[in-house]
Amino acid sequence: MLPVDGIPTPEDIMAKMPPPERLARGPVVMVECFQQIPCDPCTHACPRQAILPMKDINEIPRVDYEKCNGCGQCISVCPGLALFVVDLTYSEEEALVKLPYEFLPLPAEGQVVAGLNRAGEEVCPARVVKVVATEKMDKTAVIWLAVPKNMAMEVRHLKVKPRGTTVICRCEDVTLEEIEHLIKVEGVRTLEEIKRLKRCGMGPCQGRTCLPLIAREIYRLCGTEPDSLAWPTYRPPVIPLKLGVLAGGGSDDAQA
Amino acid sequence: MKREVRFAEIAVVGGGPAGLCAALEAARAGARVVLLDRQDHLGGQLIKQTHRFFGSKSHRASQRGFKIAEALTREVASHPAVEVHTGATVFGFYEDGVLGVEQKGRVFYLKPARVIVATGAAERTLAFPNNDLPGIYGAGAVQTLVNVYGILPGRRVLMVGAGNIGVIVSYQLLQAGMEVAAIVEAAPVIGAYWVHAAKVRRAGVPIYTSHTIKEAYGKREVEGAVIWQLDGDGKPIPGTEKDLAVDTICLSVGLSPLIELLAQAGCRLAYVPELGGHVPLRDENLQTTVPGVYVAGDAAGVEEASAAMMEGALAGLHAAYSLGYGQQDYEARRAAIREQLEALRSGPVGEKIRRGLSKAIIQL
Ligand SMILES: Cc1cc2nc3c(=O)[nH]c(=O)nc-3n(C[C@H](O)[C@H](O)[C@H](O)COP(=O)(O)OP(=O)(O)OC[C@H]3O[C@@H](n4cnc5c(N)ncnc54)[C@H](O)[C@@H]3O)c2cc1C
Ligand code: SF4
Ligand code: SF4
Repeated sequence: MLPVDGIPTPEDIMAKMPPPERLARGPVVMVECFQQIPCDPCTHACPRQAILPMKDINEIPRVDYEKCNGCGQCISVCPGLALFVVDLTYSEEEALVKLPYEFLPLPAEGQVVAGLNRAGEEVCPARVVKVVATEKMDKTAVIWLAVPKNMAMEVRHLKVKPRGTTVICRCEDVTLEEIEHLIKVEGVRTLEEIKRLKRCGMGPCQGRTCLPLIAREIYRLCGTEPDSLAWPTYRPPVIPLKLGVLAGGGSDDAQA
Repeated sequence: MKREVRFAEIAVVGGGPAGLCAALEAARAGARVVLLDRQDHLGGQLIKQTHRFFGSKSHRASQRGFKIAEALTREVASHPAVEVHTGATVFGFYEDGVLGVEQKGRVFYLKPARVIVATGAAERTLAFPNNDLPGIYGAGAVQTLVNVYGILPGRRVLMVGAGNIGVIVSYQLLQAGMEVAAIVEAAPVIGAYWVHAAKVRRAGVPIYTSHTIKEAYGKREVEGAVIWQLDGDGKPIPGTEKDLAVDTICLSVGLSPLIELLAQAGCRLAYVPELGGHVPLRDENLQTTVPGVYVAGDAAGVEEASAAMMEGALAGLHAAYSLGYGQQDYEARRAAIREQLEALRSGPVGEKIRRGLSKAIIQL
């Protein structure tokens, strides 16, 4: 219960739910503000005046759901971080939740993060569809999360998964989690792609350390046969050389 | 020792939101103001508030506290009738209405015709075994450390107190990269606005109401804390202890108005728990029982910044008016500020403040 542990009850949430017919028509705001407090910025934030004006600033905000188009502009204005937008029509399997986020680092678009419920428990993986963080929003970013449809009314926060401590590429500082993400989520299948996306193989070791490790992950996760996996092109120099040496054709140390 | 005394029209002691607004309002009415603050920056508590403020949009709500401080400080600094002294501590209020001021090792005396005391409030602490171990701080002190100086006090913290300050500082410690092991609150309900509680909760911080700290432990510094549950009468229940491995404990158990100067001035005080302890009796214009001495902001009763700003403005307005300034606009301006202040306090969360004020406001 909110006053006892900070978690709204299912009844609290029911009372804040937009009408089902409106939810069925696309993105719409959900105002999770449950207490009469002296606060009114939300009522000034909506360009369509969907959050209704208050006579007294202690009123609980009310919404005209017909006026709301789910744009999400109001989200970053609320000091209580109590405004969300839910879109149940986002795709066949997924719903979209737009939520306020004030932590660094911001997640990247495309990244898979943990979706947290109102009790702070991880309930599902969530894919970052968009990160909106303009100057005007003054450091309250709005994150668009794609979540399984049945989680649309559950996910209200996110956790960026730690980057992990198993390093695959020491030159470019790339971890196992990042490689796994590229393969499992982004659908990357070749060493060449990983080299271009993460620079693995382009550092001082020229791929001696990382490429075999990455290849092993591709075999493991995709079932690729070792001899069917193309190795990136080896270009000279095969070990790092000073540019001066290459350009001058001799040793610049000798001249110094 | 010969002491040099300067004269002034209005002295404002304290440059937090209350003092800043008092100085601005009085200066705009035409009075000349000396504003004194012991810190190097004006803004008081606001300079460490990185969260967006509640309140009414027309009163800077949704802006972050430190931005409000910056804006008010700019207005004060650019007003020709306000003379600002930072690093200036008022150390005494003498019988003849003289203020003793220490500024960077130098002492001077000021005799103002009117004084507005806006010194804010001090953090309270709590008695429990080992409460002197390094690693135990006031929540406000930690907020200064983290948000003003960019220093983390530790890695994992227990917050004691779930009022707005405890919950907001917990959120800011999460933002700064600390882990918050728990927030405990002795009362059966959370004192903070529920939206604040909800946002730390969904970030994974457990909030235990009807719980308090039993003891801290550690050899040379905090290594952990034991919390336990309280029964309906507020008595601890043996056997409910939980051990939390933390290296930092933050106490956010309330504030007490800083009224020493007002007591020295001879203002009549009353003990009003709803306002945080001893506060000066005053009239609707914030004038105390000593004519010409005003109080505003947390020093008048612990409340919040929007109320502090409006109280400051009312005090500044009346002090200037009583010196003959701003006669024309006085009534209209006063009515406008009072209306906003009443709107702010009129809701259910303002009930306690209203109760407190009914004991502190008198007819002079
Ligand atoms: C964590 C936290 C969160 C908060 N969140 C909100 C919020 O969201 N919304 C809101 O409205 N309020 C909020 N507040 C409350 C708000 O910050 C205070 O109510 C407000 O700052 C009080 O203003 P004030 O001017 O009375 O005192 P202060 O801001 O405390 O200023 C007092 C000033 O007086 C100076 N001073 C004191 N003694 C002397 C002396 N002897 N000589 C010279 N100078 C002196 C001090 O240096 C200080 O600058 C919050 C407070 C905290 C701690
Ligand atoms: S989502 Fe857009 S249209 Fe809906 S209330 Fe917010 S600002 Fe208004
Ligand atoms: S701005 Fe946010 S916290 Fe304030 S009343 Fe609106 S929804 Fe509630």
